[in-house]
Amino acid sequence: MMTFRITLLSGLFTLSVLSAACSSAQTPPKAPPAPDAVVGMTNTLRFEPDTVRVPVGGTVEWRNTSLLVHTVTGDPARATLEGSARLPEGAEPFDSGNLEPEAVFRHTFTVPGVYGYFCIPHEGAKMKGVVIVSPKQ
Amino acid sequence: MNRSHRPPTSHTSRVFPAVAALILLLSGLASSSALGQPMAKQLQKLKALAPARGYVIAHKDVKNPPKLFGGPISVTVTQSSGGVFVALPDRRRLDTYVFGTPSMPRAFAGTPGINGVPPPAREAEDDHYTRMKKPSPFGDKYLVMADGRMELHAVDATAVDGATTEDQVRFKASWKDKQGNTYEVRCCGMLASHGMEFPTFGGVVTNHILHGVTRLGTALMPTEFAYVAFWGMGEVRKNGKVLDKPRLIHGMLTEYVRGEGYKLAFDDEVTPTRMQFHLMIPPFMPDPPNLSFTEKPVKTGFTLPNGMELPFWHVMFENLETKAERGQ
Repeated sequence: MMTFRITLLSGLFTLSVLSAACSSAQTPPKAPPAPDAVVGMTNTLRFEPDTVRVPVGGTVEWRNTSLLVHTVTGDPARATLEGSARLPEGAEPFDSGNLEPEAVFRHTFTVPGVYGYFCIPHEGAKMKGVVIVSPKQ
Repeated sequence: MNRSHRPPTSHTSRVFPAVAALILLLSGLASSSALGQPMAKQLQKLKALAPARGYVIAHKDVKNPPKLFGGPISVTVTQSSGGVFVALPDRRRLDTYVFGTPSMPRAFAGTPGINGVPPPAREAEDDHYTRMKKPSPFGDKYLVMADGRMELHAVDATAVDGATTEDQVRFKASWKDKQGNTYEVRCCGMLASHGMEFPTFGGVVTNHILHGVTRLGTALMPTEFAYVAFWGMGEVRKNGKVLDKPRLIHGMLTEYVRGEGYKLAFDDEVTPTRMQFHLMIPPFMPDPPNLSFTEKPVKTGFTLPNGMELPFWHVMFENLETKAERGQ
């Protein structure tokens, strides 16, 4: 709740500065749309849930709910173990970089298929997950 | 392999039943002074059989030990954010590659826990070892603590053990528990220019294989390649106050030796392509006159759920930045 209040106050302050600086900035920025799936990243070195399904064009949000630094890496070129990452044909690799505790990362999937991703520092501990992107019906 | 386990019968093995209670040393629950006279003698025998003892004797008084081939190597390892893994006492599963079988045991000599493990301290089924009978700092149980920071600056200049060393270490590490207490380790007031039961290569070693089958350090850790490792005397703090000093501090940057569920790997499960840094403050102190170790729990200031003070620190850092180059 405290975090929300602080965020709200600082948001209002930012808005007032922006309003003063630019009279055309009358409408507040839109909040990002809700993700199609949310995945937690844990102290037990798991993505939870480890498999999610989204429609093509859908967005997955990863939340680092642990005390550790993790990554969300869907890039076979960065994997060192077989089976850590895989992409459907035509899909671009993605990588969150280091996610500190409480950090959030989002990725939108535009190519249907099965994506395997992993956490770079915990690849040896088999911290990996799957996103299944369904084609349009 | 389906034969039922029979008690070993060799001369060395006859020593083992008498030292079964020595495993208490591993969990910091007993001291050699509390052991009976026969037991203390058996412990001395076991320590005297440490496999690298002869090597250490040949090197420990060398006044100008040879320099590292190709010149010194400087290494920096840091973690600036993120949590750490703090090992809890656990009964280590035993790897046949390291510990052999009940009919052909390996890795039994030296101070129990810090070097070998006497067979009476091992559980067995049929003709293979399963796990330790008592907890040690090496196992699968752990806690994650917040705000882990670590900085190591090391120079590996001296190649082998000796009476002097030109190796250098500046090390500090800290982490916080749920209550916000800060635990800190600093090293090294003095480097281990030579080892006790196994060599320390002047206090710093680079690009060397350690632990497991090597018998360099405890066999309870898997055989692992260390990019850098050090041994020295430092101090343990809590909330800025020194709790324990001097303490033996060992740190090493190695290949990744944890598996799924953060289980401590067997030799054939190590991941060579990823790294982790281990900080170990064992519940032992060096005993230079006897080239050995004596049991002494670390005053960590961290209380376990059972009300006991954690008698060691074994902490893993995995959000690392590394740098190494030739020259000082």
